[in-house]
Amino acid sequence: MRKLPYILPLLLTLLVVGCGKQESDLPVNTRLGGEFTLTDHNGEPFSQSQLKGKVSILFFGYTHCPDICPAVLARVAQVYRKLEEAGEADQVQPVFITFDPERDTATHLKEYLPWFKADIIGLTGSLAEIREVAKQYGVVFIKDQEEQDYLFTHSDYIYLLDDQGRVRKLYPADFTIDEVVTDAKSLL
Amino acid sequence: MPRACFNALLAGAVLALAVPAYAELTVSDPWLRAVPPVSPTMAGYATLNNTGEAAVTITGVSTSVAGHTMLHNVKTDDDGNRRMVHLHHLEIPAGESVVLAPGNRHLMLMKLTQVPAPGDTVEICFHLNGGQDACAVFPVKRASQSDG
Ligand SMILES: [Cu+2]
Repeated sequence: MRKLPYILPLLLTLLVVGCGKQESDLPVNTRLGGEFTLTDHNGEPFSQSQLKGKVSILFFGYTHCPDICPAVLARVAQVYRKLEEAGEADQVQPVFITFDPERDTATHLKEYLPWFKADIIGLTGSLAEIREVAKQYGVVFIKDQEEQDYLFTHSDYIYLLDDQGRVRKLYPADFTIDEVVTDAKSLL
Repeated sequence: MPRACFNALLAGAVLALAVPAYAELTVSDPWLRAVPPVSPTMAGYATLNNTGEAAVTITGVSTSVAGHTMLHNVKTDDDGNRRMVHLHHLEIPAGESVVLAPGNRHLMLMKLTQVPAPGDTVEICFHLNGGQDACAVFPVKRASQSDG
């Protein structure tokens, strides 16, 4: 017990050094991202600055897409669950931005997203607003009219944003769940 | 009758009817990706095996839960953008298999009249060029193993 006063500063030093080393080595992407305001699934205005203070996993899609989009949603949900198990989910926010505002209204997103059980914020808006955000993130989407329905040609990256809203990493739609979990943790 | 029982009966009936009659196209590892109940569409996957001695062409697909069912392909352009395109025909050479998988060729169920839940099963029939049908029972699953 008498040794404690000597050990304490050492422990503190180690702790400080340890915390310093936690700094993520993911580079800040200065080409992509930026401030935006859209409408969330509750019909309220939602600005990108509201994501500050949390690490966010941002991705685009549309709910009428049955193949790649629900697969990405399911995978993001798995990332979220792993972070939940680690007790860190409250510091991470998944965000889904639709590029089909015509069909993906706030009401529809509010009914659609909770099924994935990942506390996903759904964002919609006017087509012009969404085009602007898509441009900021380098997302391409083209509406294809096919028969009585329409589909989209689209890029399908997933974006990891740090707690200041800066893009730190991009992943393909078939990303490795553990990679995103590890990267997200490195930003906490 | 509970839906699960009905589905099981349906599955049994379909198996009893479909398997012996149309042996040249078999369907293995079928599954449908579970989607939220408000989803208007869902996708299906399977491996289609032509066990016969002649090429088989799938000319259409149908199921009772969807108003419109199609075979889709996914094309990636030079910029990495992906789009789904309607496959009007799918030819499977004799003795070969075609895989329908996420992010690849898939079944697209549109205008769903009812959204089956995880654990439910759905019968889907492939219409073949000879006028025959090859049907299979697709279980609804949350995700495949490949989804991690
Ligand atoms: Cu499709």
